[in-house]
Amino acid sequence: MLKNYFKIFIKVASQNKLFTFLSLFGISLTIMFVMIFSMTISKITTGSGPEKNLKKIVFCQRVSVHETHNGKKVGGFSISGCGRSLCEDHLKNVKNANIISMYSGPQPWEFIFNGKYQSKLQNQTDAEYWNLYDYKFLQGRPYNKEEVTKSSNLAVITRSLKELLFGSDENVLGKTVRYTSMNLVVTGVVEDPPKTAQNAMGDLYFPYTLIKNNDPTEEYLGGFIIAFKANSSKQFGPIRNEAQEMVARLDAADTLHSVFLSGPYSQVEKMMVGYGDPEEYSVGTSLFKYLMYALAFLLLPAINLMALNFARIHERGEEIAVRKSFGAASRVLRGQFLFENILMTLTGGVIGIILSYLVVAFLGNSLTLRVNFMGSVPLSFSFNYLVFIAALISCLIFGLLSGYLPAIRLSRMKPAVYLKGGEL
Amino acid sequence: MIKLENISKVYRTKEIETLALDNINFEVREGEFVSVMGPSGCGKSTLLNIIGLLDEPDKGKLNLNNLEILSYEDKKTARMRNQLVGFIFQSFHLIKELNVYDNVELPLIYRKTPQAERKKRVMEALEKVGLVNRMQHYPSQLSGGQCQRAAIARAVAGDPKIILADEPTGNLDSIIGHEVVGILADLNSKGTTIVMVTHDEMIAKSTHRIVRLFDGRLVG
Repeated sequence: MLKNYFKIFIKVASQNKLFTFLSLFGISLTIMFVMIFSMTISKITTGSGPEKNLKKIVFCQRVSVHETHNGKKVGGFSISGCGRSLCEDHLKNVKNANIISMYSGPQPWEFIFNGKYQSKLQNQTDAEYWNLYDYKFLQGRPYNKEEVTKSSNLAVITRSLKELLFGSDENVLGKTVRYTSMNLVVTGVVEDPPKTAQNAMGDLYFPYTLIKNNDPTEEYLGGFIIAFKANSSKQFGPIRNEAQEMVARLDAADTLHSVFLSGPYSQVEKMMVGYGDPEEYSVGTSLFKYLMYALAFLLLPAINLMALNFARIHERGEEIAVRKSFGAASRVLRGQFLFENILMTLTGGVIGIILSYLVVAFLGNSLTLRVNFMGSVPLSFSFNYLVFIAALISCLIFGLLSGYLPAIRLSRMKPAVYLKGGEL
Repeated sequence: MIKLENISKVYRTKEIETLALDNINFEVREGEFVSVMGPSGCGKSTLLNIIGLLDEPDKGKLNLNNLEILSYEDKKTARMRNQLVGFIFQSFHLIKELNVYDNVELPLIYRKTPQAERKKRVMEALEKVGLVNRMQHYPSQLSGGQCQRAAIARAVAGDPKIILADEPTGNLDSIIGHEVVGILADLNSKGTTIVMVTHDEMIAKSTHRIVRLFDGRLVG
């Protein structure tokens, strides 16, 4: 029976080329976007370059502080990254994590070099940062804990920054890099992290202690991300509880402020929650919001295909009437139409997948995807079976959404009408 | 084999009601070849559709193969159509996307006949109508007579007890028309009950009995 349906599908598709083109155009473009988006997001969430252990890391990057009076929130509130004191004195003591690192994350660094404007990224880190991420050292070593504590003027630079600043010089260890008013001595050179490694991005890395805390009274807020690396994701729960308990104790002890810590979140959760008010944006609400976006994105072309299918029902009337006459039950006819529609969407899906690879291969570096406030990342190619399954499921959802109602209408048609040429 | 008791059928639109069949009582014995005649719009096709379970009467009882049709549930009527009835239409109604072999195979597919058995039956049906050499052809590649022969092969492939033919010669010239009726007569001689709607008095006279309809009523 499926062979029979397949023959019909091929014939119908080849006979009505405009319909086939319109159907495949909508499906393949949608699947192409789904694939490109999923592949790029997959690369960011599974980790690339130094972030090979990304799935074992959770992050806190947002704290909100409300002023309180007699236990009630009054006046304004502030949202920012984690404060230095909050990280150093409290969150760094979480016992369930194997490695805990605080760092500023990639920050803009603009300067003039040889008369030319340069825009690079700097990242202020602790010593544990080099254990948290897996940078490939081409020369030298990272700065250590003692050097960070002493606020030593040291830096690790990337290969591209080395080439910019020192040209063809082979060994640049011991040479200095000027950052604002500081001269930093290069202790190591690392391979450039790919742009999809959003947490580990940077060109210049130096001890965070070099930047003095201008406002020592600000205990909670600051510009730091704190990352906890666990043995496995099973430890995320205990780490989260421990961190939240610490902040709850701080909150209880502070009569003037109410403190709320967002996270710790995994990379996926972090991307969903973004940088909004941590008390308002939970993973659940963000997930729901994105699922709604995805559904709407899939629904529009599905409705378009459904409309095309409805418009074509009468073309198939005679065939359906004949099939009914010779014993096809409505359920069987619904199955046939859905089968054909799913074949159509899968064909569109395959074209979409091929298109997505072609677009990424030829335009990947010039097209970017904006990821929250982390900046834009180039579209990335990565074969991931989950992405592939996502594309297939999208095709199936497409096929079912666009085919089901027309299939019902088709299977309910009265055969007598079509066997007499449309009139009784 | 076929028994209709007080069968009535009304077609309703927003504006009008059309009485297509009015209290029809009619019986066809097993192995009979009956012609149904009457002017256009008198209810001949409606009668055939009701016998073939393609349409539901508003009133009356229908009995097919000694089984009273009490429910017109889709799955049940589909099974009965598949096992008991073979249809032949004036406009052939071959599925244009399928070749002759695949068209003839259709009722056997819905019966879930195993493939080897299907092939045997399709070939037998095509031999009966002399169309084996055209089995890979598509309907658009066949003449009217060949199309109708393919349609007859499809109707008999499942070896039904009843064949319902709605003006099977209406789109054919008289020579080919008589050839088609000859094939039907041959099937009837082997025991198949046939009810045929026709406008052709000559062809009707070659069958066992003529039933005449006028304005939805049996008149002779």
